[in-house]
Amino acid sequence: MPQSEFERLALEHIDALYNFAVYLTRNPPEADDLVQETYLRAFRFADRFTPGTHLRAWLFQILRNTFLTFYRVRERESAIADDGVPDWDVPMFHDAPEDSSSVMEAHTDLERALRRLPEEFRTVLLLAEVEGMPLEEVARVMECPVGTVKSRIFRAKERLRALLRDYKR
Amino acid sequence: MNERFSDASDEELGRRLRAELPRYVAPARLHAAIVEAAAPAPPRRSAWLAAAFAAGATALVLVLAFVPLLPRILPADPAQRLMRSVVAEHERALMWGARRPEAIPTALPWLTQESGIGLTRVFGGDDRLAFRGAEPVYLEGRRGIALHYRDADGHLVTYMVLPAPALPLPDRQRVQVERWKPALMYDNGFLAWVWKHGDLACFLVSDMVSEAELETFKDYFVRVRTATEPVPAY
Repeated sequence: MPQSEFERLALEHIDALYNFAVYLTRNPPEADDLVQETYLRAFRFADRFTPGTHLRAWLFQILRNTFLTFYRVRERESAIADDGVPDWDVPMFHDAPEDSSSVMEAHTDLERALRRLPEEFRTVLLLAEVEGMPLEEVARVMECPVGTVKSRIFRAKERLRALLRDYKR
Repeated sequence: MNERFSDASDEELGRRLRAELPRYVAPARLHAAIVEAAAPAPPRRSAWLAAAFAAGATALVLVLAFVPLLPRILPADPAQRLMRSVVAEHERALMWGARRPEAIPTALPWLTQESGIGLTRVFGGDDRLAFRGAEPVYLEGRRGIALHYRDADGHLVTYMVLPAPALPLPDRQRVQVERWKPALMYDNGFLAWVWKHGDLACFLVSDMVSEAELETFKDYFVRVRTATEPVPAY
């Protein structure tokens, strides 16, 4: 597949990737950086993509791995808050503006509850329920068996219901 | 709403997630930034190439500027080596004139004293060659005498005599001119008739190098050769 054609097809998924990135980072500037880094990596390693397989899943996989890479680096480098939640004010990318005002506020209890889920629960819900991705693709993104994906979706929804019940009280 | 979510079935919760969560759209600038970043970079000229080019150009300019000052490789042939010095002296006179031009014959005693060469007869100029001056010279460790003439076309013609008892003339370059057979030698854009007069080497130098000028230069040789008689003074 010519590089230009590959880039054109990949860019068709930019909105879905950006939406996913915003929910992962909760920070639009960081989401910008994450998506841009994702595409640059994808374009650089386009030869590793197998034509005929799901380009969308491959791109989401790159984005998530990129996020986790920087997330882990940030977890190591930044202070952990009292509640065990990483300090989100620290920029994920080192050249990102250190501006806590850019961190998004949750507008609904549902959004707030989703944010409190662990990353692997949040991701399966976003990919499977919000993006409507087949479980096989979700499994590829998360690099785990389909059964694990099903289990995580079930447990994620259980956790989500529990959080929503807490908000109701 | 929370009540509804907390009690919702899995399908209902999934449907609500799709419907209720705000969806974020990538800003146009992000798309543009990615496209721009993905565009193939223009072929970059190697950084060292520009530096090497600049260094080469500088070296070339320096070489060209200093070439005239560099020592030239001396020819192995002693006649050619002496010829080179004679031409250099002729060039100097051509550019700057004689250092201390003297008139003939009033200055002859002084010239003889300074050069060690006497002129029993001397060509003092005629309708073709005008005498410009005479001066002692010192070339290749030899004292000599130089007489400068200028012809009607503006060519400077220098007659120079130097003591050179053992100087061999290159046979291949000797040319029959009337009853004489001088060598016609070339160096650095100048031609010279070179001949021996006893232990003295005589040179008649000019920049008349073209085929047409050569006949005229031959005529000048005859005029000077016929009328001039140098001898060692001491």
